[in-house]
Amino acid sequence: MSSHYEAPIREPLVLGEKSYHDITVDIAKPIEGKANKNWYIAFTISLIAFLWGIGCITYTIGTGIGVWGLNKNIGWAWDITNFVWWVGIGHAGTLISAVLLLFRQRWRMAINRSAEAMTIFAVFQAGLFPLIHMGRPWNGYWVLPIPNQFGSLWVNFNSPLLWDVFAISTYLSVSLVFWWTGLLPDFAMLRDRAVKPFQKKIYALLSFGWSGRAKDWQRFEEVSLVLAGLATPLVLSVHTIVSMDFATSINPGWHSTIFPPYFVAGAIFSGFAMVQTLLGIMRKVTNLENYITRLHVEYMNMVIMLTGGIVAVAYASEFFIAWYTGSPYENFTYMSVGAATGAYGWAFWSLILFNILIPQLLWVRKFRRSFIASFLISIAINIGMWFERFDIIAIVLSKGHLPSTWTRFEPTFVDIGIFIGTIGFFGVLFLLYARTFPVIAQAEVKSILKVSGENYKKLRDGNHE
Amino acid sequence: MRNTITKIAAILFVAIAFTSCNDKTKPQVQYMPDMYTSVAYEPYGVNTAFANGMDSQLPVEGTIARGQVPYDYPNSNDGYEAAKKELKSPLTVYTKDSEKGKALYGIYCAVCHGKKGDGQGDLVKREKFLGIPNYKDRDLTEGSIYHVIMYGRNLMGSHASQLTGEERWQVVEHVQKLRNDLLK
Repeated sequence: MSSHYEAPIREPLVLGEKSYHDITVDIAKPIEGKANKNWYIAFTISLIAFLWGIGCITYTIGTGIGVWGLNKNIGWAWDITNFVWWVGIGHAGTLISAVLLLFRQRWRMAINRSAEAMTIFAVFQAGLFPLIHMGRPWNGYWVLPIPNQFGSLWVNFNSPLLWDVFAISTYLSVSLVFWWTGLLPDFAMLRDRAVKPFQKKIYALLSFGWSGRAKDWQRFEEVSLVLAGLATPLVLSVHTIVSMDFATSINPGWHSTIFPPYFVAGAIFSGFAMVQTLLGIMRKVTNLENYITRLHVEYMNMVIMLTGGIVAVAYASEFFIAWYTGSPYENFTYMSVGAATGAYGWAFWSLILFNILIPQLLWVRKFRRSFIASFLISIAINIGMWFERFDIIAIVLSKGHLPSTWTRFEPTFVDIGIFIGTIGFFGVLFLLYARTFPVIAQAEVKSILKVSGENYKKLRDGNHE
Repeated sequence: MRNTITKIAAILFVAIAFTSCNDKTKPQVQYMPDMYTSVAYEPYGVNTAFANGMDSQLPVEGTIARGQVPYDYPNSNDGYEAAKKELKSPLTVYTKDSEKGKALYGIYCAVCHGKKGDGQGDLVKREKFLGIPNYKDRDLTEGSIYHVIMYGRNLMGSHASQLTGEERWQVVEHVQKLRNDLLK
């Protein structure tokens, strides 16, 4: 122990007197055991919501977009709101696995697997909306620049909606590869532990014959680092591109140069909130309290505070600029006096309450380190960030340049049903994931056990005295 | 060896499977033909809303469309004689077009009447039918030529639907020129 120096001020990341084997057993337990009643209840609820969503999607595509509450002035509302919301949620996963890897943050190891799973499942949900909000989704493949019989008619590369296609599809594929490479040693662990031949076969297929030799590990680390380096600009650019759907338009309230960084900050804000929500439940139900500790929750809350602060500054800037430009059109943007006092005042104030005021509680150490408080605050942020997207889209569109086009948006049950459906789909995927995948990257946690494990820390601190 | 045979069989099967659906006697399969068939009535379309099952309906008898001049001579010998005597070409120096008249004659008339108007068109030469007169043998005026184009005469059918009024007069000009050449 004398060769290693770790600041004694650091709190342990792995609690309990864990050995390598304990970690394996703890992580493999939810996969090797049977699902309990609560799991089945949650799964059934999610599945019903998912099926209901499929029904609503089928109804939309079969009947037409007119079954939604859109009108000819507000052509985007819940569809794109939910799209941006889900994409935003996905961002925390890549941030945790890539950016925190670049910054050598050890606390990410216990949460990165689930955060990446959350990314992938959230991007699935997000990816649905660009397709189903099309009037003719069966011609959706026309967004791809494929040589064709229309005299090789191509797409216009000037539209941010096309950039979205590239951004989201690249984001999903890179995240998937990144996630899967990280899973190989863990699948190999499950393969080696499996007793049933069927399970063994499945995990043997999933682990791609990982044998954990020194050369493999060396390359594994290099690939992870390179992918992290690639995923980091990707995270920043994907939500930037999503923000450009709005920022490159001429609508007052959308045409704003602050959007790219502000949307990214919002994405990380909402994404971390979702991670907090999910891990808050998961650490309990899968008995991983020793790995996802109070310290992890506190660190995540700190990131939430930071990004929440950036978002709050952005709101303030938008509000200030709306006034400072002197343009009368800016009086009705989503961050303006007109919005605060207009027909969508409730949405404006929900945003202020859920996104700015409630997260400020995290400045208090007691709340920051409390599981219950962070769980509740994270849910408030998820609601608040949904309202942010809704406000940006619907409030801005409801009052454009021409007063004769001012209108209101009311969602129909189909709008709501599809959103509920995506939440259900997310739940289905995440619940299945939690039962079949190693929810914590055991190989990574084992690499920090002797540095940050509680027992090892105690041993070391004892030596120093 | 057996492996090769299996592979060839598989390739053949796939090839047949992909080509077997292509029936050249029928229209091709359409992928989502959203605006492939017309909602509006197309000129020669089938239409069950009308008694004769066609989109094109006859105008009411006696109506005159803008830009159209009705032809008042009746389709009879008397009409023919009257047109022969009275009807004059309305063509002016601006609307006379001997090139166009020649071209139209070549399309609609020469197949029977011959390029020179001597009654030796291709169909006559091939003896498909006989009895096409030579222009120089008949007593023709511009009015009578126009009348015959309008209504047809004996074996000849009406050409009023193929040619507009102005075009008919341009053809009349050309027929007269051919007749004068033949009479020389």
